[in-house]
Amino acid sequence: MNQTLILFALRFVSGLLLLSILVGLFIIVWKEYRSTTGQSEAHRRVYGTLKVLRELDGMYRITGETYPLLPLTSLGRSPTNSIPIPDTFASSEHAMVTLRDGQWWLEDRQSRNGTTLNDLPVTQPVVITQGDVIGIGTVRFHVELEL
Amino acid sequence: MTAISPPPSLVYRYRNAGASYILLGLGGMFLAINFLALNVQRGAEGLANWEHFAIWAVCAVVSAVILRYRLPKHDTLLFALTMFLSGWGILAIDRLSPLFADRQTAWLSLATAAMVAVGIFPHTLRWLRTYRYLLLVGGLTLLVSTIVLGRNPSGQIGAPQLWLGIGTIFFQPSEALKIILVAFLASYLAEQYPAMRAEGLNAGYHRLQLSPRIAGPILLMWGLSVVILVWQRDLGTAMLFFFVFLALLYIASGNWRILLSGLLLIVVAGIIAYYQFDVVRLRVDIWLNPWPEADGRAYQVVQSLMAFAAGGIGGQGIDQGYPTYIPVVHSDFVFAAAAEEWGLVGVLVITACIVTLFVRGMRAAMNQQGRPFRVLLAIGLSLLIAAQSLLIMAGGLKLIPLTGVTLPFMSYGGSSLLTSFVVAGLLLRLSAVDD
Repeated sequence: MNQTLILFALRFVSGLLLLSILVGLFIIVWKEYRSTTGQSEAHRRVYGTLKVLRELDGMYRITGETYPLLPLTSLGRSPTNSIPIPDTFASSEHAMVTLRDGQWWLEDRQSRNGTTLNDLPVTQPVVITQGDVIGIGTVRFHVELEL
Repeated sequence: MTAISPPPSLVYRYRNAGASYILLGLGGMFLAINFLALNVQRGAEGLANWEHFAIWAVCAVVSAVILRYRLPKHDTLLFALTMFLSGWGILAIDRLSPLFADRQTAWLSLATAAMVAVGIFPHTLRWLRTYRYLLLVGGLTLLVSTIVLGRNPSGQIGAPQLWLGIGTIFFQPSEALKIILVAFLASYLAEQYPAMRAEGLNAGYHRLQLSPRIAGPILLMWGLSVVILVWQRDLGTAMLFFFVFLALLYIASGNWRILLSGLLLIVVAGIIAYYQFDVVRLRVDIWLNPWPEADGRAYQVVQSLMAFAAGGIGGQGIDQGYPTYIPVVHSDFVFAAAAEEWGLVGVLVITACIVTLFVRGMRAAMNQQGRPFRVLLAIGLSLLIAAQSLLIMAGGLKLIPLTGVTLPFMSYGGSSLLTSFVVAGLLLRLSAVDD
């Protein structure tokens, strides 16, 4: 057998191996990507929603904006919050809604203009239920729980 | 009130360790086939090089077993890619400059040992943080000492004197400084994290606030990069330091103005450097148009482009192309050599491996819940590998001006290999997050 043929065969095999490495890498990355998205979607189960209300003609109306209610939901002006509120009356870390022992708690985080629950100021953590309205700055959030 | 920790399901667990080892096995087969082809091509009088392959295989298997038992939760894909690329590097050096291959193989075994040690030693991350000033001062002292004591292994007059040497062993301090600087910045920025995220800086969209806390380190790093550039004429390392630092600062602060002002500083430094330093002007001129001087100063880049063109899709086959026409092909232009002998397929595999390394490093960063130091360290180290690869790959393709950095894991160079492996070891350690 001549040398050229051997070298060509080896080149061919080496090329095939390179391709299989590429495909293998792709399969590994793809599989793990799928399982990661699966994991994070399983984690992102819906507990409820906060519907945004805004004042128009002296009445609060549903704007269509909704946010998912998470076991730890932070509200405030800073974009790092789970619900950022672009409102000049909101503090950067304004309020927090948490799920503890099966109950939802609303807590003010020493905001400058305060948080209201059904138009009453929140001074200490309070339990909220279906249909409550949380007020931050000029924005109101209607609480809808999925139980 | 109790602190609320994120649910454990958010920490991603690495599974399919078997698939990574299969990938590494395929890589080993690829290397074996190519070593065989190299020996067939060189014939009976050629250098026997099976021992290099054997040492690589032993390194890979032994470190895989040790890591499996001592660091069971590590990211096996990261490990497999590291070993595959370094094996390919040994193969390429064996083909391009056989006289250097023995030395490189010795460095490989040392580097593998270092990676495993960094990976399994329990206090690595804590010590990096505790002794950061000591490490930084030590690293800078070594760097400064190259200005006085620096040598060049090739012994040429006028070549950059970036090495410290004892006898025939040479080490490049700027390589070690890369890791030290990233670790230092990660721990500094992790401490400044609350201050940076404070209201004034983050929410003040209308005010330009650059407190000394932020501006100080920027200017320090910029100054350091300029010093390296001026004294050592090491354009690549200077750019690498500054880019990685800028990215880290941006990630830590979330402030785009920092990115903008940093880029502005780079542009200013670039323009000044263009007019002040011949090296920089040469590199930029060649990048803009290499063809008038294809036989002269632009010879290297032009030959690299020719190598890419000669490779085609499948490549010429090992030892059947002519990549040795490129000057210093074994350190700066391994990528071009791979393009000529393994073609587009080889280039794609190398690129995919490095991209995946980067992505897995970033994933290790995302798994560090609420630990700014570890997050920033993982990001910084991944960026280090990615940015360095990008600089030299794009430089060889004439996409950006050429900077003489090495291709991590593949290029010839003991200190570079050691540094890359220590980075890999740290990333493995970070990927094995459990407590």
